[in-house]
Amino acid sequence: MTTSLTAPRASARPPVESRRKVRESLGERVAPYAYVAPFFLIFGIFGLFPLLFTFYVALFDWNPVAAHTFVGFDNFSRLFDDPRFWNALWNTISIWILSTVPQLLIALGLAHLLNHARLRLATLFRMSMLVPYITSVAATTVVFAQLFDRDYGLLNWLLHLVGAGPVDFVQSTWGSQIMIATMVIWRWTGYTTLLYLASLQAISRDIYEAASVDGAGSWKQFRHITIPSLRPVIVFTIVTSTIGGLQIFTEPLLVSRSAPMTCGPVRQCQTLTLFLFEQGFGQFKFGYGAAIGVTLFVLVVAFALLNFLLSTRIRREKP
Amino acid sequence: MRVRLGFAVAAVAALVVAGCSSNGSGSADQKSFDFWSFSGINQKAAVEEYQKKHPDIHVKLTEVGSSVETAQALTTALAGGKVPDLVLIQGDDMPKFVEQPQNFVDLRTLGADDVKKDYLDWVWSQSVAKDGSVLGIPTDVGGLAIAYRKDLFAAAKLPTDRDAVSKLWPTWDKFIEVGKQYKATTGKAFLDNAGTSVFYQAVQQGDMKYYDADRNLAYDHSPQVKRAFDYGLTAAQAGITAKLSSFTEAWSAGMTKGDFAAVAAPSWMLGSIRTNAPTTKGKWDIATIPGGAGNWGGSYLAIPKNAKNPKAAWDYIKEMQSPQSQLAHYVSSGSLPSTPSVYKDPKLTSFKDPFFSNAPTGTIYTNSLLGLKPFYIGPDSSAIGQEFLNAITNVEQGKGDPAKAWDTALQNIKTAIGK
Repeated sequence: MTTSLTAPRASARPPVESRRKVRESLGERVAPYAYVAPFFLIFGIFGLFPLLFTFYVALFDWNPVAAHTFVGFDNFSRLFDDPRFWNALWNTISIWILSTVPQLLIALGLAHLLNHARLRLATLFRMSMLVPYITSVAATTVVFAQLFDRDYGLLNWLLHLVGAGPVDFVQSTWGSQIMIATMVIWRWTGYTTLLYLASLQAISRDIYEAASVDGAGSWKQFRHITIPSLRPVIVFTIVTSTIGGLQIFTEPLLVSRSAPMTCGPVRQCQTLTLFLFEQGFGQFKFGYGAAIGVTLFVLVVAFALLNFLLSTRIRREKP
Repeated sequence: MRVRLGFAVAAVAALVVAGCSSNGSGSADQKSFDFWSFSGINQKAAVEEYQKKHPDIHVKLTEVGSSVETAQALTTALAGGKVPDLVLIQGDDMPKFVEQPQNFVDLRTLGADDVKKDYLDWVWSQSVAKDGSVLGIPTDVGGLAIAYRKDLFAAAKLPTDRDAVSKLWPTWDKFIEVGKQYKATTGKAFLDNAGTSVFYQAVQQGDMKYYDADRNLAYDHSPQVKRAFDYGLTAAQAGITAKLSSFTEAWSAGMTKGDFAAVAAPSWMLGSIRTNAPTTKGKWDIATIPGGAGNWGGSYLAIPKNAKNPKAAWDYIKEMQSPQSQLAHYVSSGSLPSTPSVYKDPKLTSFKDPFFSNAPTGTIYTNSLLGLKPFYIGPDSSAIGQEFLNAITNVEQGKGDPAKAWDTALQNIKTAIGK
């Protein structure tokens, strides 16, 4: 940047004009910062400040409408002794695994199908992938809650047809977690598929054709061409879905209308973010809530680092 | 370039200023005021009536959401500084705010002492802080009763007349027996759930709930709580419930479809039944609650400290919560008055609710308040109640071990409230 800006100064010019030039280049030097300033300003106000403030609040017994008492790291030591925290952590991880693994596998398969050369109405199918993504989570949850309803749900009606007893999805641990994972899968699979598809489109068709000529079937092509060339984007989706999975909130909140913010009488589907919300905005324990937030932040960073380490290793591997 | 840069800075500054100044929505004319209520309690009717009498005053009513959501919004508002002039707080949420009297106008400074005598003293005392300041005026109370479906009772060969039905269950044990009988005859569930319809009712009947008279925690040794918990467990294990948690969509659907024949109905619940299951009009009736007098719920009107127009808000409270106004509000929307002087008023005693087979709800509910022994509701009452309820629900769902339920509940309460 600086080199291109200082370059004109080297040329000999009349003094007046060169001063104007200098002033202009000063403006030009500042301009880029001005252009990016709004982002950093807004990030500072809505991103960085709340983050730092959360760290600060986590050190206090902070009731929003009363005194704030400094307690140091008490909130954290209490948190690690709190069975509800470990329960929420475990739920979060289990819902994340239940949703991410099938989601990425389905997306891989779909992307491979959509990339097929002889697919008719390809654009229509590709567009339809995004429909779940643009649907509001609240609307999705209402529909899924009805599908999974114990007494009048479609799923239990189908189970009844094949002679199986009704399952109380919302009230059982696995049922509620599978229900939430299904919502996540439904919402994000199309999005991930399109990411994969975009990468696939970058691969030359010649490779597939050459493979066909060599007698490689669809499955072999999938294994030996599609997957290796998608490696970077697969890593990317794993990272993003890990971060998203750790922060899952709306679905469990809306599923648990009966026991507000606990996702069932024994917190069977309460995630970390929901636990944070319950403590902060349900019990007004902002300090404790902030401590959960900080812990969650550390967890997300740790998982992202772990992902990064694994992914660089995977990327280095030769296909 | 510099011009553009200046423009960008100005635009950002304008944004920031706009963000800061947006809390200046209060009224300058000293006559209008902001009023936050929760939904489902029909404060709109009261506001409209007030506006009719005082066309020069503008009341800006906001129905924030459920009572819990309204309390959350109020907390955020108190912490942030932009508060309404008047706010409706549900009885269960009140203790948390009473702990922090500095956030509210002491209504004695506006003349609360003059109207104190009009209200039930035990309801009034729940909005009095430790320093003696009065933070809220009670708008209604929640007398207890049981709503039951006459058609389903008839199908189960049970009596349908409300006096005969009331005689079926003088105690909770008898109530559960009737439930078993109903289940045996029809094969269907008798009650919506054990947590709210049994435990939450029974725990309100007596003089010591989760705190003792000296405001110390007593949930683990209060005989009233243990007894109520056992009734809840018995009902849960008896298999007489539809296992539908109160106030959920499935609960409303079950109510419409007749999935249960009876539900505990504090006076404010009648409105929920009307709106949730409008097609069941005339099929319901009201019987007395087993176990005697009790109260669940009710609300208070309070004025936050930083209100822009506390005087206008107080004028509204004084006029709309007077005994006569509460009586009028009762006739129009069914909130049971917190002013005992109107309990013998013919307008109340002769009131019959057509939705509930013309049951004399005024008499039934005010009778359920007679002989009530008031108990202290503390800042953690709501959290404690929820954990007990969760333990019973877990047994009801067939997952929790009933023998361990009580200990589990105590353990969870200790974790939840930290003591």
